[in-house]
Amino acid sequence: MSTEDKVFIFTHDKYGFETTITIPFEGSIQEYVYILITHHDLPIYIADKIFSQLSKFISESSTEFYDNVTTSLIQKSKGNLIDIDEITKEWEKIFREEMTEYGERRCASDEELFATAYHKLVHSPALETMLQLEHTYALTVKEKCDEKDRQICDLSNRQTDEMSTAVDQLEKGVTESDINELATKHFEDQTLMQVQLQSEIDTIKEAQKREYREWLMQMLEQSQANNSLPTPKHSPVAPIPPMIPTKSYRNSKENKVSHPILEESFTVHLGSQLKQMHNIRILRANVMNLCSITDNSLEPTPQSLQTALGLYSNELSGLVLIHDEIGGSKLTQDFRKICQSSTEFHFPHVDDQLERISHLQQQLRKDSDLKSRQNTKHLQPGDFYITRHSNLSQVHVIFHIVSDDTLKGGDINSRHPVVLGLRNIVKTACSNDITSLTIPLLLNYEMSEDMTISWCEKRAELVFKCVKGFMIEMASWGGSDLKNLQFMLPEGISSEVFQSLTEMLPRIFKVSNPLILKSSK
Amino acid sequence: MSPVERQFNLLENLELQFGAQTFFAKLHKTDTCGSNGLPLTPNSIIIYGKAQILKNIKHKHLCQYLDIIRGKHERLIVVSQFSGEPLTNYIRKDSLEVGDKICIAQQIILGLHELHKREIVHRYLCSENVLIQKDGSVKLFNYGLYHMTNYGKLISFPLIQLLYAPPEVYLENLDFFLCAFCFQTIIICTPGIGIILCELALEKRLWHNLKLGQRIRKILSLIQSNGSVFERIAREHNCFEQYLELAPNFRDLIEDCLKVYAKDRPTTEELLQRDIFTLENATEIGTPSRSSFQVFTLTEFYHWWQLAGGDVFLELKKQGLLRSSPPILSLPGLILNDGTTLGQERNPATLHDPRIVPMPLDALHQRFAHIPLSSYYPLVFSKSHIIKKFEAPTYDVTNLPLVIRERDPEYQFHRVILLRKLLYGYPYTRDMIVEEAEIDIPPLLRGDIWMALLDIKGDYEREYVQIDKETQTTTDRQIEVDIPRCHQYNELLSSAEGHKKLKRILKAWVYKNSNYVYWQGLDSLTAPFLYLNFNNEAKAFACLSTFVPKYLHKFFLKDNSSIIQEYLAKFSQLIAFHDPILANHLQDINFIPELFAIPWFLTMFSHVFPLHKIFHLWDKLLQGDSSFPLHVGLSVLTQLRSRLLESGFNECILLFSDLPDIDMETCVKDSIATYIITPKSITARQHQNEMYEILDADFVSNLVSRCPRISTNNLVDMVRTCPIEVLVIDIRSTKQFNICSVIGSINIPLESVKLEEPFVENLGIHSNLLTENTDKNIVIVSTEDAAMETFAEYLLKCGVSRVCSLSGGFNNLLPIFPTILIPQNQI
Repeated sequence: MSTEDKVFIFTHDKYGFETTITIPFEGSIQEYVYILITHHDLPIYIADKIFSQLSKFISESSTEFYDNVTTSLIQKSKGNLIDIDEITKEWEKIFREEMTEYGERRCASDEELFATAYHKLVHSPALETMLQLEHTYALTVKEKCDEKDRQICDLSNRQTDEMSTAVDQLEKGVTESDINELATKHFEDQTLMQVQLQSEIDTIKEAQKREYREWLMQMLEQSQANNSLPTPKHSPVAPIPPMIPTKSYRNSKENKVSHPILEESFTVHLGSQLKQMHNIRILRANVMNLCSITDNSLEPTPQSLQTALGLYSNELSGLVLIHDEIGGSKLTQDFRKICQSSTEFHFPHVDDQLERISHLQQQLRKDSDLKSRQNTKHLQPGDFYITRHSNLSQVHVIFHIVSDDTLKGGDINSRHPVVLGLRNIVKTACSNDITSLTIPLLLNYEMSEDMTISWCEKRAELVFKCVKGFMIEMASWGGSDLKNLQFMLPEGISSEVFQSLTEMLPRIFKVSNPLILKSSK
Repeated sequence: MSPVERQFNLLENLELQFGAQTFFAKLHKTDTCGSNGLPLTPNSIIIYGKAQILKNIKHKHLCQYLDIIRGKHERLIVVSQFSGEPLTNYIRKDSLEVGDKICIAQQIILGLHELHKREIVHRYLCSENVLIQKDGSVKLFNYGLYHMTNYGKLISFPLIQLLYAPPEVYLENLDFFLCAFCFQTIIICTPGIGIILCELALEKRLWHNLKLGQRIRKILSLIQSNGSVFERIAREHNCFEQYLELAPNFRDLIEDCLKVYAKDRPTTEELLQRDIFTLENATEIGTPSRSSFQVFTLTEFYHWWQLAGGDVFLELKKQGLLRSSPPILSLPGLILNDGTTLGQERNPATLHDPRIVPMPLDALHQRFAHIPLSSYYPLVFSKSHIIKKFEAPTYDVTNLPLVIRERDPEYQFHRVILLRKLLYGYPYTRDMIVEEAEIDIPPLLRGDIWMALLDIKGDYEREYVQIDKETQTTTDRQIEVDIPRCHQYNELLSSAEGHKKLKRILKAWVYKNSNYVYWQGLDSLTAPFLYLNFNNEAKAFACLSTFVPKYLHKFFLKDNSSIIQEYLAKFSQLIAFHDPILANHLQDINFIPELFAIPWFLTMFSHVFPLHKIFHLWDKLLQGDSSFPLHVGLSVLTQLRSRLLESGFNECILLFSDLPDIDMETCVKDSIATYIITPKSITARQHQNEMYEILDADFVSNLVSRCPRISTNNLVDMVRTCPIEVLVIDIRSTKQFNICSVIGSINIPLESVKLEEPFVENLGIHSNLLTENTDKNIVIVSTEDAAMETFAEYLLKCGVSRVCSLSGGFNNLLPIFPTILIPQNQI
């Protein structure tokens, strides 16, 4: 509606022509004059004449055009055809939603206040005490958790024994209903114990969280009052006596075949003229190593120091986990267990976060009833959800991407939903200041039978190439750069395959040339 | 500092002040692609491109735009002149005389008129955006937002000043974003003027205490009034008496501006014709605007401010305008495959905050405090030693690297002052500009200085206007494919405006050079010129049009194979001349320049280096001739020398498929060094442009030979002027040599040389001379071409550098007078 064609007629001496001009006119009138002259084969000396007439014509037509539009608008409003109230409200809404001046005065939320406090303290001499404290807390919780596992295990063993004696005596006076009753009782006992112990742990966590946050705020206030750097003399918990690391049974269970961690790092550059540097590492390890805080050590690990420093910074680190569905696979359970094994001081508990996600999902389902999105029962492959953590060893943000069985096949291509999901992850990372990202190179963290060498190579090549493409694309998104990219390989992969995959990388990414320092002649 | 001195401090001019504001561009809705299948350009980049033209506006009644900065996550920062006090502060009882008010009104209209002439609509006019300077003059502020955001379409906040926008803008509300386009017409500003004058006349801010909704309603209710809008406003503010007391022509002015129907409102041009302005204030219009020969302008001032450590981001941060909560607190919860994001709340920090933050200038003032007044007016033509004695000693940084000199505020101050002055005198001062450019080129003035180096004169603007850049041609498709791949890391070149301009310049070039065709690479070649002259397409085009014939003569012919072949042959010979070992290695692995160097030379390296490196390279290139790029190519190879020598064919191909980072300063230095010591005729080409470089008459092309040839004149010159720099080897028989030979030449008869054993030691007594050769050009002389060729290649195989043979042979030397030949047996 916003344009109008008008005919411009020009006559001068024996020359004349007619042309259609779109109002509003875009571009340079002067240039248009010369185009007209070439088109209609006119002498150059009348250029000025055409120009003055044409510019007058265009300016008058534009004014007239504007006048017409506005006159009809105003007449409509004069004739009460437009609802003034409605318009006022709509404008008010736009102003309130978009301008700070008219928007609601909003105080910083609790979350933000705590974030500022924590960020400030973690970058002060208080850092060491804080981490030590966090670690002590974590150990306490961990001990409780182990205790809980042990008790439950004991109970189960006892119940199994009881049950087997009962079954043995089935013929000798014990009826089936007795056994059923026993089974029910056992189940009830189990549940009761679970709930009891869990609630104990939760209480401890809650107390720790409260204590910790209060302590932090207090320390900040003190340092502000004294106008000095916060230097904590004491932490709220007494230093625990060095205890001999108890070899927990869980630990011993894990000591099965251990694969040494293999890793290789590269510096690559992207872009043909301006070269953007990125670090890439290929790593063979258990993905949970990135999450779990190493047990039993008395000191917090250096990694958790790094993680704490970066928590509220603009350099977050993220990890991609692949799930069959919300809360299903073994990986998910391991992950949840790790999250629960220490106190989360900053964000809601992982279960609450997942709760919120499924809430969002339900909402989506409700909305999509109207928009008829197909198959909305579950998340689709390639969809992903995000959880935030402060109690994991090396990552802050987890991208949980949903996959399906097709991923196990050997013939997926760059249009596969999970690969597209990966692109959305890279994009999300880029627009939310997540500058380190770990991606499963084979889109899988577990080895399986069908993962032959050629399968692995094919899959790795696909992921390398796609991620490279995403990173090139990312440069134009105007977000933060992905500085560190880590490709994870499953623990069980052989070192030969690892070797062949690391050799593949320089063929796909341009590895930066080493800078060789030469002694001057 | 004494008060007398103080008043001369040019830096403390009150108009030399600027401020910054920030806003966010609208995000694109999930993943969308443009019509060409490529991802959409972020809106912030489009705005960045559109805003550039605003920097061009320099007018007495307009605040100058200085800079647009793109931050992370679609943030934009606009820096512009910001001096004086907002008019709002003057709207109170009895603060202004009627004359002052009329004067202010006139200046506002003058400012707007200037904008309208440039087809820019203010749309953001309000009494706060009218700044009253110390001398009482008026500058309009913040007039570019509507233009740079493509009529508000690229941002999400409403670009409206509540009371000052005409009512029709509100009515269009329902499809506001769709129709914003048709409201670009100029009359839209008139009601704004009306309201401001209304406030001035009634000495009251209108509806100041009302709430947002009520104010919108008030404006909309004005539509309903059938009589005088002004009268109605006056009555509502209990100022009816004041209304009646106003001078009738002033009152009419306001009335007309406030007319409900757009068609009844006067344009700025009509307003300026009114007798209210022509009678009382005739003098005001007559005052000439300040001389265009300013010692320095606000643009330069801002540049120095930045160099002296001025940081816009930091200042905005201090004022809390860049506050943002930690990113981990605002992550989304769930993202679906189609990009739908759920669970991410709008970050309140992204709401629009229109505050302006004035930038502190103390740091710059202090940094420059010791600079004497005379440094602002350097003497350019003075030959007097007496005067020279009184000049301040030059600021010495000559030993520092170029990149550091470019960031030294004081050095840049002196350079900019001097070169700006010389540029005013162009073309008369061209020689001096060239001389200064040899030292270095201040980045701020690079565009103009390059133009001077290219010797562009005449009415290039007119020429450009006359070229048809619109009509479709067959090359359009290729151009359109190439442009979105040309230096897209750069914000200017990746903006929509940049694409448009690049396309126009390329089309203009194709139109103008019908004997040539568009070769891929012309886009990269144009990019530096466009970047430097973004607001002046004609100049960029003029630079390109002069650059191509000078450095790339005939390269863009439809069949350019013979030109390219000759160029590459010369390149190979130059490598052999300076670096025989590398040349032999490349020959052994058969890695010929055709495999890597064509894009280098066809685009003068603009395809392989990022813009900031091209600038430093071309700074020197523009002072050399068309053989300079060969030396650049050589120095690039020199930087990669050790890796090339270790590599086989495949590794070399891989290495050059994506050229590693090159240290540009070393590269430029090396190129100049070889450029100076290489005899000119060695790189002379049949296909060079005779307009710029004259070819020696006896030049015979020898593209097959591995070693270059030198022309007779060149040799004669060298023997005469600097005999120590040349070593002539006569390979004729000893008998012929004794009869007559070049002064100072040595004799190695070809018969005596065992060609199958390339060891220089075998040459006997002269071998030391050859092995230790680093600073002499070795010229082989004989009567037979084949013999010279054979011996030259023999020396090349021996690894002797700087070997060439005499073009045309010994017989060419015989007619030379005064002769350089002597009979040996006379000695």
